[in-house]
Amino acid sequence: MKNNRIVCGLFTLFLAAAPVLAAKPAGHAKPVSRPAAKASPAPRTVGLVAEDMPYDVGGALLLRWPVNPADDSGTSYRVYISSQEKGGWLQGTEFPASANKGTDIDLPFWAWDGSASEHALRLDLNGLFGDASPGTVYRVKVSVLQNGAEVAESEVKTARAYGNWFRLDRLNNLVMLIIIVIVFFLAVSHAKRKGLFIRRIAGLDAIDEAIGRATEMGKPIYYVPGIGDMTLVSTIASTFILGEVSKKVAQYDSFIKVPHYDPIVMTVCKEVVKQSYLEAGRPDSYREDINQFISQDQFSYAASIDGMITREKPAACFFMGYFMAESLLLSEVGAASGAIQIAGTDIEYQLPFFFTSCDYTLIGEELYAAGAYLSKEPMLLSALKVQDFGKLVVMLGVSIGLVLVLLGQWQHWHSLVNFVTDIFKAN
Amino acid sequence: MSHTWMIAGGWLAAGLTIFIFSFLYKDNPFFKIAEHLYLGAGMGWWFQVYLYSIWIPKVADPLRAHQWAVLVPAVLGVSLVTQFFPKISWVSRYGFTFLMGYGAGLAIPTMLSTNFMSQIYGCIQPFTDVSHMTRLGMLNSLIVAVGTIAVLFYFFFSVENKGAVKKISNIGIYFLMAYFGTTFGNTVMARFSLLYGRFDELYSYSGANYFYATQVLLAGMVAYFLVHGLLAKKKPEGGAAN
Repeated sequence: MKNNRIVCGLFTLFLAAAPVLAAKPAGHAKPVSRPAAKASPAPRTVGLVAEDMPYDVGGALLLRWPVNPADDSGTSYRVYISSQEKGGWLQGTEFPASANKGTDIDLPFWAWDGSASEHALRLDLNGLFGDASPGTVYRVKVSVLQNGAEVAESEVKTARAYGNWFRLDRLNNLVMLIIIVIVFFLAVSHAKRKGLFIRRIAGLDAIDEAIGRATEMGKPIYYVPGIGDMTLVSTIASTFILGEVSKKVAQYDSFIKVPHYDPIVMTVCKEVVKQSYLEAGRPDSYREDINQFISQDQFSYAASIDGMITREKPAACFFMGYFMAESLLLSEVGAASGAIQIAGTDIEYQLPFFFTSCDYTLIGEELYAAGAYLSKEPMLLSALKVQDFGKLVVMLGVSIGLVLVLLGQWQHWHSLVNFVTDIFKAN
Repeated sequence: MSHTWMIAGGWLAAGLTIFIFSFLYKDNPFFKIAEHLYLGAGMGWWFQVYLYSIWIPKVADPLRAHQWAVLVPAVLGVSLVTQFFPKISWVSRYGFTFLMGYGAGLAIPTMLSTNFMSQIYGCIQPFTDVSHMTRLGMLNSLIVAVGTIAVLFYFFFSVENKGAVKKISNIGIYFLMAYFGTTFGNTVMARFSLLYGRFDELYSYSGANYFYATQVLLAGMVAYFLVHGLLAKKKPEGGAAN
């Protein structure tokens, strides 16, 4: 019995060793030169899945395949893509097996459940094909490389990239927008019932002073709305301020001139000024030439206004809206002509020029607040309160986010760090 | 022929540059010429830009290709022109309404994303990898975070600026002033490079190959101001007498 067991053991050992012995070159036989690929014992099937990259405008494909446990430091992947039915392969990218895991995709946790056990690659089509047209069918394949030599290749997969209607990765933005809208309606309700408090803004208190001065001197007021179009918040804010300024001008029976760069802004401003004169009970004082179109060329606009200011010597100049390099060209001439000047813009690198040449300057948010501050209308006041709410959220978000992220780092709670950063990611 | 045109172009460029610069002294007829020429040339330039980059490729060509859908934005755009005709000026409101709605729709998500979420994320993101941060890097990120909060305090309109709020908003003002100072210096440097460019051109046109255009024009201007100044002194002041 014992002998039988020994024989069986030896036989089994022989069977197990047979492939190893057979693989060795026999005696003096000449070794057969074979490529490393053929010698590889484990053929690697990639298991590739190609699909549209979710939550984008249709300019990328998403490739996924499982991580092969046999991959080592010498293993890398090479991705090929073609927009043709046959051939036409372009090399998309090449990366080591340790890179491009499912967790590396830059999407927030509620939109992407990436795993380290799979490879996930975002393939940018615009970068490869120039302007990739949506709906084109692409063929993709992935090659496995071992020390630079191809050892396996996936089967060819087809996929189309298309634009997605809903960007789930921006859900945080949508939630924030909904909260802001709710706060706005609550603020409107509160403003209509009890009114809302706004602190004093010095630059806006000076508007009355400037208009009064112009009335006493019998000189015109220049209101320059800048070179922005009606899609810019600063231009919209400027039209609100113009409404209030022109109302006061109509009340004091002074004269205002509004030179324009943009014809659409001019048309809006015409309506605004006309309405203000009507509200002030002075429709007869309104003149069509209050608003005048100058030019849609930045520097000829500036040169022309400079000329007008120099010749007419206005008592007050308002520069409210979107300004670029012409800011100093305009305000310096206004200062030289002796006018009292009030400026306001949200272009932060033009603000220093206004500081140096104007009597009062509204900085960014103060420009947005001006319309509400001057009119005290519940709707505008509510908008201002919503802006303050937004600032409060940013202040709290930065403070609390910072504490949580540092706590997560200290305690190695990486999920907490990822959670906090995903919540505030703009995407 | 081309050489003659080069010289004429040099005289024109040098002349217009000096005419515009003459405004630094005072308003004068030469500046007025340059100003009005600039205004007219600017309008002409933009007219052809709109014609060749918008009207022809985006309206006329698609219509020739029977792409009738472009009529919708084209009609909305043309409706703005009805402002000039009081009886049908109401039509322009459709165009304006579309523009305002489109502008707001485009601006809201962008503003929310860039001016709101990005500010918070930008402040906390550097601290997500503290182990790889240098001390100076950490200090820098902390200054950015504190500066953001302090500046926001300054722009907070719902509370009176007094007590602790005033102290924090004063810190915000220091941050703002530091920023404005650096921006001012940076922009002034950029403007000086533009000025050097103009001076370089004036220097180029002062050579014999341009028949000393810069010097001749400059001398002419100075002569004009001298003569004009002398004549103005001789004229009696009539304002008080009248």
